[in-house]
Amino acid sequence: MIRLFLRFLLSTVCAAVLLFPLQVSAAENSFIEGIQQRGFLKVGLPPYNTPPAYYLEPGSEDLQGYDVELAKGLAEKLGVDIQFDRSSTSFNQLVKRVGADDFDIAIGKLGLTYNRLFDAFPIQYLSFRHALLADRSFVASLGVDPDDSKFGDILRQSKIRIGSIENSTWETESRANFPNAEFVGFKNWSAAKNALINYDAKSDGPTIDAIYRDATEIKPIVYDQPDLSLKYVPILFDNIIDRKSIYLSEKGRIGLYDFVDNYLRREWGGIKSDTNILDEFQSFYLPSDS
Amino acid sequence: MTSTTQPQKSIYHRLFSILPLLRKPRNFFFYILPFSIILGRIIPASTASAFNDAGVAMVQIIAFPAIPLVLSAVMISIANIFSVSERSREDRFRFSSRFVVSLSFALLFGAVLALLLSLYQAPGVLSPDAKLSIGRFMLDVTDIRIGEIPIVESTVNDLWITKIIPSNIFADASSGQTLKVISGSILAGLAISRLNRDLTQPLLSLLRSINTISVQLLYIVLNLAPLVLICLIAGAVSTINAEIVVALLNFTICVFLTAIASLGVSRLVFRRFTSSRERAGLHVNPVDSVFLLSLSTGSSMTAYPLMFQTLKSMGRDESEVEASASLSLLIARLGNVTYNVIAIVFALNLYEVALTPIRLAEVAALGIVTGISAAGLTGVATVPTIAVALLYFQVPAPPVLVLLLAIDPILTLPRAATTGVLAMSISVISSVRSSPKGESHVSETNLGLLAQSPEGPVVEGG
Repeated sequence: MIRLFLRFLLSTVCAAVLLFPLQVSAAENSFIEGIQQRGFLKVGLPPYNTPPAYYLEPGSEDLQGYDVELAKGLAEKLGVDIQFDRSSTSFNQLVKRVGADDFDIAIGKLGLTYNRLFDAFPIQYLSFRHALLADRSFVASLGVDPDDSKFGDILRQSKIRIGSIENSTWETESRANFPNAEFVGFKNWSAAKNALINYDAKSDGPTIDAIYRDATEIKPIVYDQPDLSLKYVPILFDNIIDRKSIYLSEKGRIGLYDFVDNYLRREWGGIKSDTNILDEFQSFYLPSDS
Repeated sequence: MTSTTQPQKSIYHRLFSILPLLRKPRNFFFYILPFSIILGRIIPASTASAFNDAGVAMVQIIAFPAIPLVLSAVMISIANIFSVSERSREDRFRFSSRFVVSLSFALLFGAVLALLLSLYQAPGVLSPDAKLSIGRFMLDVTDIRIGEIPIVESTVNDLWITKIIPSNIFADASSGQTLKVISGSILAGLAISRLNRDLTQPLLSLLRSINTISVQLLYIVLNLAPLVLICLIAGAVSTINAEIVVALLNFTICVFLTAIASLGVSRLVFRRFTSSRERAGLHVNPVDSVFLLSLSTGSSMTAYPLMFQTLKSMGRDESEVEASASLSLLIARLGNVTYNVIAIVFALNLYEVALTPIRLAEVAALGIVTGISAAGLTGVATVPTIAVALLYFQVPAPPVLVLLLAIDPILTLPRAATTGVLAMSISVISSVRSSPKGESHVSETNLGLLAQSPEGPVVEGG
């Protein structure tokens, strides 16, 4: 009887040993296992509304946008739910926090700078040209025809006053690409736009000659208000590209990089340019034409 | 065989005999213009470029005799006028001074007239709707792109004086550098005038032949003018943004008003500076004919033979008419001067630049300089000449040029008409009667380039 019991015990243990590795295979990537055990993907988003990339649907608390959809798609492939965290106070802080493992990924049109590479690990998914929306009178004051090949250098060396979101990649890029420029930081993009277009000396602080961001943020301003084209002109830098990236922590880079990379290639459609995005979301950018 | 070719011949013959008749101004307004507009509304926008290309190609054919005509006319006339053996010093001085004074006065008059009409009409002061239409039109078109390979190097900063100095008269002629050809021809004409007639006679005979052939050629290719207009107007109507035309209505009206005012002033000049005996044989006012011909072809140069024939038939000195007509048509470019003044005021109003008296004087001066710098250019190519003035006033040039180019297919017509009639005035003022016997030979055909027979008149060519 004892012998029979021992045989049964041995065969049960053998069966368990043979079956157990099948379940453990998911745990070979401990980072993904952690997410799966948690049951949701933690995604850090900037605390702003940047349609059509990420924004709260007006009148509800539903997050919408292509960045949000991309994150949801990743969560779906991981077989987990999703949780967004919008408590970061700036873009730079968001990147620092993902580097510190506060989230699994950080997404939200995050640009690539040297400083951010100190904090986290990027995977590029968008390729947007840098762009200015400049006051035409400032452009004319440079005294050189915009079609002239020297125009770009003269603009970059000018004492242009550039406005954009403070503590963003645009502050860093402004200092790098326009060494003589004066950067004026604003709380958010709307404040920067207002300072250029609806300048009010009492509330807007110093005057600015241009606002700086990527082409998908600059072009919609004139699409939305075509009459602005008379006074302001989009300046698109074909040779200064903002490599918008999803950021991961060091552990995330080891555990999730290939997964995200594979998803971007197969489901997202590779790295998209600003023109791709403007075309894909034409109904948003040019509602009257769609 | 005969039966099949005979109807074909008659169709071709009828077609080619209709074309000269269509060149009459009345036919232009009553048939060509309405037909072209209707055609433009019917044809799909995708075929507009084919119409436009065909029109531009035919314009090129019409412009083809211009260079040899200019080269020969200027050289012969300058050689004759400044010939020591044939003319007295007083004669030479009289023509030169009259021509320079009338040219300067016409330039000044054109600029002031355009300035006054601009102040009255206020082009560039736009309603919110007009601003919206313009803004929509400019979306994506005026973006500045940095880092892309420039297709064409900018020439805005080129000194226009460098465009005048000839390098090699034949090279300049072959590369279509009309201003250089004119200045080179003047210098060559002056050199010829200093030489013994026996030495220069072979060259003068050759030049006269070239001139005669060029004029005759111009008559032949002018038959294409109705087809040019149909193609260009239909192409323009099919593609032109009607919203933009409405938005820039003040500007458009201002340019047309300037042309009509120039016609009125030129008529007065013609009456004041011609005797009743000179005008005795005229049944049609030649200024009207010049105006309508330039307007209907969009090229002031096509009026040159008409001006020359008319004034010569009235007994005016052939060389003086030849020199003053060709030089004023080509150098003064009064239509461009008036147009540029209006365009500069338009740009200043658009960007809310205050129009102080000093600034208005600057506008007039820059309008004259940029207008003259358009010499040798035709059609839309003349528009970018105002970029220099806009740069001076630090007004954004690209959006202004985009707007002006958008409506230029319409405005090129009054611009050419203004150049034609004011050049006629200069020619009337600066030329004098050659001899009493030459006064009476004014025939109807001389006034009727528009009403000539299909074969064209027998032209001596100066």
